[in-house]
Amino acid sequence: MRILRIFYRVIIETILGVKHSGWSNWLVISILAISLTIFGSILQLTMTLKNVVNSFGSQMIVSAYLSDSYEPKVVAKDVSQYPEVKMVEVITKDISWQEMKKSLNVAAIKNPLPNTLHVTAKEPDQVTELAQKLELLPSVEAVKYPMMVAKRINEVRHFFEIAGVFVTAALTTATLTVIGNTIHLVIQARQREIQILSLMGVGHFYIKCPFVLQGALYGLLSAVLAMLVLFCVHMYAIQPYLTTNMANILPALPKGVGYSLVETFLVMVILGVAVGAGGGAWTSGKYLKI
Amino acid sequence: MIRLQNVSKTYGGRPALKDINLHVALGEFAFLVGPSGAGKSTLMRLLYREEMPTAGNVFIGGVNLNKLGSRQIPLLRRRLGIVFQDYKLLPRQTAYDNVAYILRALGVDEKDVRKRVTSALNVVNLEDKASAYPDELSGGEQQRVGIARAIVNGPPVLLADEPTGNLDPATSLEIVQLLARISERGTTVLISTHDHTIVNTMRRRVISLKQGEIITDVDSGMYEVEMSVES
Ligand SMILES: Nc1ncnc2c1ncn2[C@@H]1O[C@H](COP(=O)(O)OP(=O)(O)OP(=O)(O)O)[C@@H](O)[C@H]1O
Ligand SMILES: [Mg+2]
Repeated sequence: MRILRIFYRVIIETILGVKHSGWSNWLVISILAISLTIFGSILQLTMTLKNVVNSFGSQMIVSAYLSDSYEPKVVAKDVSQYPEVKMVEVITKDISWQEMKKSLNVAAIKNPLPNTLHVTAKEPDQVTELAQKLELLPSVEAVKYPMMVAKRINEVRHFFEIAGVFVTAALTTATLTVIGNTIHLVIQARQREIQILSLMGVGHFYIKCPFVLQGALYGLLSAVLAMLVLFCVHMYAIQPYLTTNMANILPALPKGVGYSLVETFLVMVILGVAVGAGGGAWTSGKYLKI
Repeated sequence: MIRLQNVSKTYGGRPALKDINLHVALGEFAFLVGPSGAGKSTLMRLLYREEMPTAGNVFIGGVNLNKLGSRQIPLLRRRLGIVFQDYKLLPRQTAYDNVAYILRALGVDEKDVRKRVTSALNVVNLEDKASAYPDELSGGEQQRVGIARAIVNGPPVLLADEPTGNLDPATSLEIVQLLARISERGTTVLISTHDHTIVNTMRRRVISLKQGEIITDVDSGMYEVEMSVES
């Protein structure tokens, strides 16, 4: 009970501190929110790419898109005779189309998808060779062999990961500076009050805690803002793009690639709160003379 | 209750207190007098651990303040009531909230807070100003809030560094009489002052400092005549 009452008091002190910060609240929150948005985008991008790569990498399947003038079953039979082929699966254009309509709200257009063969190789190192062989067939219009794509995506992903580390470090430093300055100003403005509290025998924890919480609050609010931005981008830019361009994209995407924002959001909140609270703790440790 | 053993304090080579030995017993009421720069405030600051002595030991209730870690300083200060010349009230809080602050920071529940704050405001006779802000109060009233705040947690020792420094003579006497009444309840009270009239009226223990040294220490004393001529 006593702890709860003290906590309640600390919250009130925190709110007072936020009130006294005035316009600099918005400065801190917007800078932190921008940083977290950039961080979140990079994180989401690398995570999605990693998912794509993983599911590509584990597949020994070559997708062969057939010209409509060939009967898929006949081609499949031919292909299954190849020594390196373990299995051939026929996926007719109608099935693909239904699948897609099930998972996405696709516009009512004529089925643009080709008949597809999923040809599974016996060994991973046969995949490339098999794909090249299939491509030479007159019945095959195009092939996609995920392992190849996976390598390229991986290079891109590594670039983003490294860039992400640098960007995060730079943004964290910038943000810490801004939070530090804001809380420093609050401490300066309240220097006399803080001195009085200290003379009254108010504990260090009680005096310091509101500044740490103020930082944490900045982190939390910024994370929420950044999440809103990312969510809107997801809802109103990426999702519509994917939907309208699905016909081009889908054949290249392996099944089961997650596009979940939840993990990114969680990391953003944790990072935001940690940077905010850390900034508050660091500044109050540096400037509080008690 | 308060004991100083061979205490010296120098500021950048200049001595402010020289080899002070002093004992103030439990429940005692004493004045600390002396001309400006004699070292009264310095001695007070040693007692509430705002400063550390350059040499010697300071004890409050048997605790050696030299041995206190920074985490324990708040604990010491809660056992002291401190009254300041400039009152040091929180400007954005009412009289009531100023007095209640430390109790709330300690997590005392609001019912107890009300009981204790009301009783403290009662002692200083200021119940009717509970909801006033410091800038709405006269100097004497502000100082009474300061005293209520100092006693609300029931400290065994009350330190007052020139509590009447900013007040007119009549108000000053009221304030000191109030502090004397508080000491009658068993609180050890040490007051530093310049004010001859008060010291001579009260006829209590007087410890005289001059240039950092105790020159006289007498029970039911008067302000040194020599000093009153000087200042
Ligand atoms: N923080 C400090 N730094 C340097 N010198 C100081 C400091 N505080 C006090 N002194 C010096 O110590 C001596 C004693 O000062 P102190 O404030 O204790 O005197 P005082 O008796 O309280 O005087 P007053 O009646 O004017 O308040 C003075 O010479 C003063 O200049
Ligand atoms: Mg002084």
